[in-house]
Amino acid sequence: MTTVTWTIVVGVKQVPDADEVGIDPDTGRLDRASAPAVMNPPDRGALEAALSIKDVVDARVVAMTMGPPMATPVLEEAIAMGCDDAVLITDRAFAGSDTWPTSLTLARAAEQLGADIVLAGEETTDSSTGQVPPGIAAHNGWAQLTYVEAVEPRPEENRLVATRDVEGGHERVAADLPVVVAVAYGEFDPRPAPLHRKLYAENDFEPIEWTAEDLDIKDEVGLDVSPTSVGGMETVQPVERKGEVVETADDLAEQITEVYS
Amino acid sequence: MTDQTTGMGQTLLEERAGDAALESPNYDNEFDAIVVGAGLAGSAAALTLAKRGLEPLLVERGTYPGAKNVFGGVLYTPTIRELTDLDSAPLERYIAEKRFSMLSHDDETAISIKPGEWNREPHNDSFTVLRGDFDEWFAEQAVEAGATLVTETTVTGLIRENGGIVGIETDRPDGEIRAPYVVLAEGGNSLVSEGANLKATESRENIAVGVKEVLEFPENDEAIQDRFRLVGDAGVSYHYFGEGAVGEAYGGGFIYTNSDTVSVGVAYSLEDAATKHQTPEETLNLFKSHPAVAPLLRGARTVEYTAKTIPEGGAETMPDLVHDGAVLVGDTAGLVLNNGVHLEGTNMAVESGYHAADAIATAAERGLTSADALSSYADALENSFVVQNLERYGWLTDRVEEDRDLLFEQLPSAVADAGTEYFRMDRAPKEAHARAAKQRIFETLGGWTGAMKLAMRYRKLVR
Ligand SMILES: Cc1cc2nc3c(=O)[nH]c(=O)nc-3n(C[C@H](O)[C@H](O)[C@H](O)COP(=O)(O)OP(=O)(O)OC[C@H]3O[C@@H](n4cnc5c(N)ncnc54)[C@H](O)[C@@H]3O)c2cc1C
Ligand SMILES: Cc1cc2nc3c(=O)[nH]c(=O)nc-3n(C[C@H](O)[C@H](O)[C@H](O)COP(=O)(O)OP(=O)(O)OC[C@H]3O[C@@H](n4cnc5c(N)ncnc54)[C@H](O)[C@@H]3O)c2cc1C
Repeated sequence: MTTVTWTIVVGVKQVPDADEVGIDPDTGRLDRASAPAVMNPPDRGALEAALSIKDVVDARVVAMTMGPPMATPVLEEAIAMGCDDAVLITDRAFAGSDTWPTSLTLARAAEQLGADIVLAGEETTDSSTGQVPPGIAAHNGWAQLTYVEAVEPRPEENRLVATRDVEGGHERVAADLPVVVAVAYGEFDPRPAPLHRKLYAENDFEPIEWTAEDLDIKDEVGLDVSPTSVGGMETVQPVERKGEVVETADDLAEQITEVYS
Repeated sequence: MTDQTTGMGQTLLEERAGDAALESPNYDNEFDAIVVGAGLAGSAAALTLAKRGLEPLLVERGTYPGAKNVFGGVLYTPTIRELTDLDSAPLERYIAEKRFSMLSHDDETAISIKPGEWNREPHNDSFTVLRGDFDEWFAEQAVEAGATLVTETTVTGLIRENGGIVGIETDRPDGEIRAPYVVLAEGGNSLVSEGANLKATESRENIAVGVKEVLEFPENDEAIQDRFRLVGDAGVSYHYFGEGAVGEAYGGGFIYTNSDTVSVGVAYSLEDAATKHQTPEETLNLFKSHPAVAPLLRGARTVEYTAKTIPEGGAETMPDLVHDGAVLVGDTAGLVLNNGVHLEGTNMAVESGYHAADAIATAAERGLTSADALSSYADALENSFVVQNLERYGWLTDRVEEDRDLLFEQLPSAVADAGTEYFRMDRAPKEAHARAAKQRIFETLGGWTGAMKLAMRYRKLVR
């Protein structure tokens, strides 16, 4: 049995393709059902960050997704890009889970896989709470680094150094492992999948499958334990703005002074 | 899988890590054949190979088959129908009327053909389709039969060994893959085949440029059925020639009705596009604004604009179809009939894909890959309607080219003027009108002798 230095677990989620999501003209609601499902775009950045660590450190990269079996293609995409393995966490019991049980589930899976680093996107394009990565860290009592733009592994110190985007500048932080890292969107350019890996991922790869029971969280997931409750939804109508054409610069100046005085 | 108990995750990863396929997958010579391009020719080849028990790999550069395919609209289905069940195919409308129309700069003279038979199954095997939908569906049929499809992968070259083709290079990392046979179905702009010297680069005279728009009629659900006089799934294909269709260029315009949109386009010689300074956009706009065309399209909005080349060299410029380890099919092999009366490539693409795959399957049974072993493809195509049609009309292109002024500019005006004369409403007797009409045509054709000569020159059209 060979052991690797680090195990890096990457959370990837399937979302409706934002380019194809239309707005139902009658109800004003997002019509998600008809849009094809794709990998949450920021998660590609998370995969790239993970693989870039593996480029320099002896590591194993494992993708995980919590979702229905229909979500398997995002794991295949992760394998195609270069992940060493992938886990599908799927169970009817998960239905109705909000960010609390979702992050609990992912936290348990990461623990189970022996994660040294968990990588995630900054947020999803469908629910966009950004709560899941910090939630994973909180459930496991691990360090967390959010809005990360660059990573620098320090295996000899068993630490990960990251550059974070903070208001007005950057911050370099070193965290002891295990750590949960949410990468800033657009900072990691995902590598193309090599041909033979892509063929393998799409045609022959089968992910590990875990249920709520496998993770020992059967009674801690689902709608009943989800604290979020939606109070109501409202469609905001665009406000009609007043417009006026003025002939000369003086007229314009006059109008501006009027508004300001 | 509930046999993994808590705490087993790491062990499980260790166990699975031993899998060589997972660590460094290698598909060299795992597939029986590689098909370059999931267009009509490519999917027909892949489907046929799969049905013969072989495992082809179908490589497509688009995000899905059809994503990048431009096409005016009428799909001819006699061969596809033999290969698969068309019932679930995304067809738009069947062609119930063909109309041929000569346009001068402001006249139209047209004939319309509407056989009752076209309203009945199999509808003369002519249907409008949107290639984005149809090609995706057709490739799916190949996959269901056992083909493997890989998308977002562009083939950049071929691997040669001892002179024969043994695989392809793609734009992906670790992008080479080998297989005993390669089917080149990359369409008219065949960079891979040309790069590998399997065919010569087409000269400008032998290429047409086609531009097409798909138009919708916002807030007017009845526009298509009313303007084109349609009932149910019936549709039309309108063909236009003459100055009003493509200006001074050699070619024509078309309108095809889809379910909720129309496809409008022009196709004309690339040589003209270059030397007559006619840009595709200008030419299409001119056609769309012709007084006989504009009312059909009033209030329409463009939802898609696409441009593409059409090979039209005919039988003479057809490249060698078979090579050691490779075959050329569809537009890559120049198999398009584009002569003004017919614009057909879809049926030829499918027919050629089918025959090529059939030859490969037969050669594979004997374990042979040489051009010689694949030559039954070339023979079968030679004996099929594909090459016979190309040969039959080969002369027409040249002939029309010689007479282009007469046919595309003088004659459309003369016919329109003759019509105007013949039906003129004034106080002169009808005999005078008929004489004036005849006179107008004769002037243009050069009298009885001219007319006879012209008839002789084109007699093969109806033979
Ligand atoms: C108000 C509200 C009500 C909801 N109600 C329901 C409901 O009733 N039923 C229901 O099924 N869902 C519901 N959801 C959706 C569900 O809570 C979220 O989709 C899920 O918890 C993830 O949250 P997120 O998409 O905001 O992730 P974010 O926190 O924005 O995601 C950040 C990153 O975390 C990782 N990640 C997130 N989710 C996953 C995952 N599933 N697998 C792997 N990695 C992941 C990814 O790397 C991602 O980039 C609801 C969401 C909201 C906001
Ligand atoms: C404007 C216009 C109107 C037309 N109208 C008609 C008509 O009404 N009726 C008719 O029968 N015919 C018509 N044709 C002709 C018809 O479209 C073609 O003959 C037919 O599409 C040829 O099929 P094919 O499979 O050979 O090529 P294509 O349909 O061009 O398919 C080639 C496929 O290969 C892929 N590809 C190309 N290069 C690569 C690469 N390097 N790597 C991977 N994939 C690659 C492409 O993305 C594409 O999917 C028209 C053509 C044009 C341009």
